[in-house]
Amino acid sequence: MCAVNDRILCFIHWIMFEMASKKEQKENETPVIKVNKWDGSAVKNALDDAVRDVLIRKYNYIENFSLLDGRLALCGVAVGVATVALLWDYLYPFPTSKPVLVGCVSIYFILMGILTLYTTYKEKGIFTVAIQRDPAGFDPDLVWEASSYLKKYDDKYNLVLSVKTESSVTLNETSVTKSVANFIDVNGVVIPELVEAVVTSMHDSLTSHRKEK
Amino acid sequence: MLQSVFDDVIRMNKRQFIYQVLSFGMIVSSALMIWKGLMVVTGSESPIVVVLSGSMEPAFHRGDLLFLTNYQDEPVRVGEIVVFKVDGRDIPIVHRVLKLHEKGDANNTVKFLTKGDNNSVDDRGLYAPGQLWLTHKDVVGRARGFLPYVGMVTIYMNEYPKFKYAVLTCLGLYVLVHRE
Repeated sequence: MCAVNDRILCFIHWIMFEMASKKEQKENETPVIKVNKWDGSAVKNALDDAVRDVLIRKYNYIENFSLLDGRLALCGVAVGVATVALLWDYLYPFPTSKPVLVGCVSIYFILMGILTLYTTYKEKGIFTVAIQRDPAGFDPDLVWEASSYLKKYDDKYNLVLSVKTESSVTLNETSVTKSVANFIDVNGVVIPELVEAVVTSMHDSLTSHRKEK
Repeated sequence: MLQSVFDDVIRMNKRQFIYQVLSFGMIVSSALMIWKGLMVVTGSESPIVVVLSGSMEPAFHRGDLLFLTNYQDEPVRVGEIVVFKVDGRDIPIVHRVLKLHEKGDANNTVKFLTKGDNNSVDDRGLYAPGQLWLTHKDVVGRARGFLPYVGMVTIYMNEYPKFKYAVLTCLGLYVLVHRE
């Protein structure tokens, strides 16, 4: 089992390395993002990426991956459990492997339940969590969260931006619902400037709102 | 069109890519776990089988899907339809129990003979050379329910393996490439 895990880890490292080198190549130029504009999920993903870019690149906030990492961990464990079941059943054919199979199957379905709860109640469509450090190091960190949804066969992209301090529960949020046609041209090219304008105005309204308080 | 499909993947960062691979893995493992779960619940190593021949007509036709159970505490009875494996044959056979011998009431001393409803002779010619009876260890399960015609898909898939692999590859690629 250990050897298998090591191999998977090695594979993942290789992928990370590949992706990292590709990313470095791209860092300098801003690539034109073109999507199939009739594919709802592709449009949503492209717009989400553009919004993330504004928060991370323009404002230089630090991206916090813990939410996505949690989901990755859940999925990884689930796939691992299924692999164990498959291997065990292969090594010790069925009637012998029954107790292990019972365990793996129940763990797997419990994990699927937890994953569903996690995505519905914890992630709630949040695709980016970014942390704003006070440069003076005096004020506590601010946590920005961006979430979005786009209904199937609908063009209305709903973006919610929220900000809170790490400790407090008070949440300032603002949302905007706009047709995707406001950000994507007729050929399906995402126009980052238009996304940036909207995100900036939302961001500024939240910041000024905070200051008034 | 095709280019834009791959663009989606190329634009992903490493976490999105790992998630993409994992979600593909989860589709595969969900199917696997449902199958293994059925195995555990029914006690049969292959809880769903497809009828491949017409030897049980008019009860079952080629392409019927059978649901099996293999509970050890329920004894086999004459007239029941069992699925069994024979040494040297890859494919399990679905036939009816014709004769049965029991010693006391312990299950493992049962031996029985089967015959296809549509065959003119019993199955001794199908068994391994020298084998006259089936015992519990040969049984894969007992037929509990059936769904007509559904299994034809499987039969066609197995008759044209290239078609099967093409369909599987397309589905796999679609899931891997399409970002949700």
